Amino acid sequence: MKQDVRHNPEQAVTSSARILESLQHPVLVLDAAGELIYANATAAGSFGGWIVGLSLTDIFPDYLRSPAAGDHPTSLRLTTQKGEAFEALLSPLGEGETCVSLWPAAAVLDERTPERADDLTGLALRNPFMAALDHALAGADNRAGSLAVLCLDLDRFKVINDTLGHGIGDQLLKKVADRLRTACRREDLIARFGGDEFVILQRGITGVADAERLAARLVDLIGRTYVLNGHTVNVGVSVGVALRDAGLQSRDLLRNADLALYEAKRAGRGRYRFFEQGMDLQLHERRELEIDLRRALALKQFELAYQPFLDLSTDAVIGFEALLRWNHPVRGKVPPLSFISVAEENGLIVKIGEWVLMTACMAAASWPGDLIVAVNVSPLQFKADTLLTTVSTALERSGLAPERLELEITEGALLADTDNVLATLHSLRALGVKISMDDFGTGYSSLSYLQKFPFNKIKIDRSFVSGGGADSEAILRAVSGLGSNLGMAITAEGVETAEQLGRIREQSCTHVQGYLTGRPMAPDQVELFLQEQPIAQVTN
Amino acid sequence: MSASIYRLVYYSRNHVALDEVAFAAEVDDILAKSRANNVRDGITGALMFNAGCFAQVLEGPLDVVEAAFERIQQDERHGEVSLLTLEPIERRSFPNWAMGFVGMSDETASRFAGVAAASGFDPAHFDGNDLHTILRNLALEEERQAA
Ligand SMILES: Cc1cc2nc3c(=O)[nH]c(=O)nc-3n(C[C@H](O)[C@H](O)[C@H](O)COP(=O)(O)O)c2cc1C
Repeated sequence: MKQDVRHNPEQAVTSSARILESLQHPVLVLDAAGELIYANATAAGSFGGWIVGLSLTDIFPDYLRSPAAGDHPTSLRLTTQKGEAFEALLSPLGEGETCVSLWPAAAVLDERTPERADDLTGLALRNPFMAALDHALAGADNRAGSLAVLCLDLDRFKVINDTLGHGIGDQLLKKVADRLRTACRREDLIARFGGDEFVILQRGITGVADAERLAARLVDLIGRTYVLNGHTVNVGVSVGVALRDAGLQSRDLLRNADLALYEAKRAGRGRYRFFEQGMDLQLHERRELEIDLRRALALKQFELAYQPFLDLSTDAVIGFEALLRWNHPVRGKVPPLSFISVAEENGLIVKIGEWVLMTACMAAASWPGDLIVAVNVSPLQFKADTLLTTVSTALERSGLAPERLELEITEGALLADTDNVLATLHSLRALGVKISMDDFGTGYSSLSYLQKFPFNKIKIDRSFVSGGGADSEAILRAVSGLGSNLGMAITAEGVETAEQLGRIREQSCTHVQGYLTGRPMAPDQVELFLQEQPIAQVTN
Repeated sequence: MSASIYRLVYYSRNHVALDEVAFAAEVDDILAKSRANNVRDGITGALMFNAGCFAQVLEGPLDVVEAAFERIQQDERHGEVSLLTLEPIERRSFPNWAMGFVGMSDETASRFAGVAAASGFDPAHFDGNDLHTILRNLALEEERQAA
């Protein structure tokens, strides 16, 4: 065979090209002008596809062409635009051409040397981590499942940082890093990508079971109580895991682990999730929804529908709840359940909430008499700190009397940062606005929330009305009894049948809202609806 | 400030094999390590085992108590650690115990077994003060017997 090669130059060329193509590390050839005239497959994959024709500086901005290339091989270190470092060996090929062989720098340098580590935790930084991942993927062990990437995000870290200060936050990160080291083996590489984001490369494993064991251990260990400067601190961790699979590059693996992390968080945090095919599609769909949602306000795709509620003592309509509707030209009517959570995740709910308040107050100002408009307020709007201004502006601009505006909040609003929320509620109350507790019975339903603030009204969730069982009835009776003792009005939601209405009447509920007494209607239908109703006008 | 002593009380679920020999070996190891470390750090306290749970009181300067607790948290031999109390105290309750294991001597063991059988003893039903008191009483008992 050797002889064949020697005697057949053409075949020698093809086979050496094939050898070059099969190399797992990038190889480039430069012409005398410094332009790339050849890149093997690994180089094309690592540096972004069609790179022949570019100059070496296009790929490695830190490459300074040496004054005289000379005819000795030189080695140097090059860093890509994305910060991935390589050890390069430049060897002259004659006629001014140069062959450049590259190896990920992590293969050469110790990953844990100080200047490559995170100052606070001593963990690896992003770039060396990515280089190590590249290197591991290029290594001899290419079985699917032979390595795993785990992305971690601390739950509630921001709250701790905000309430206990950065000093404690930093101490916490150090202890978390410490626990990560305890949970991992020597072969694993742990990095901090910034903030409370950690990434682990688990090398040389035998498959899913190994990755799962580590993920479960991390959730347990990181979630255990910390004691920092006498403070007891509890955080959880969410973990996304992706395993090596044929054809996956570093970036794909990291992205898959990140998608899995996103799902772990969506599933309620404090848990791990493995990447599954389709997660990218789900995320893609949510992203699309988010993009559409961002445009919806500007494109005036939101509408409010108004659902009447009745005073049971007079059977008259005394107000309407404003309900948000999204009419998308392609998606059609998007149900609130599927977009409110997205709007809350990305904070859009604050802007949307402002629009709702303004629009509802404007509408109500045109209604006759003292009809009330009830508006839902998201817990996120309390966090944004602008709620008070938003409400007073809406009242001012619309000219609506404050007593005719009722804000509906859920227990969720009182869960975190309770003192600030209570202060805001008291200021709103001082404006003259009514405040009611919405969806009571669905969340924590802690009676202590009822004690914390003198709500004007409690709205009992529809499930207790439609349930009809002895339990639902007992709860309905208990809550309405409690409410009336505390001087709060009670609305039963979701009343659909005359039979339900009958039961409600017996249980000291004061108000009722549901299909039976009126469906949500477009703003221009309100007037007609009212004309057909006996309105309880307050006579002066 | 530097002189102020803190008390930390927790209980946890034991993950050690329930086979008696293996368990005794683990406890011996925990105690040996604890005593060596605690003498070095100026920590005193008591450890108790029952019904699949550990309960422990640690007393000492805040920084060393925190460091010891962090090591203990990372220990795979137990889990679901519930921290009940962390507070400054006037004086130590276990001044002579680098880490006493209560419930080991025959007398207290049988007494303790009685508690376990009679009331279905589970540390989860006690708060930090209760546990502290139980451990202190058991410790006093053992000291009296030893004397
Ligand atoms: C229930 C339990 C109680 C422990 N108590 C102590 C203790 O009081 N002091 C201590 O230093 N280690 C204690 N340990 C052991 C620590 O978890 C850890 O193994 C040890 O502190 C490591 O010490 P080293 O770093 O010197 O090897 C305890 C472990 C368990 C499971």
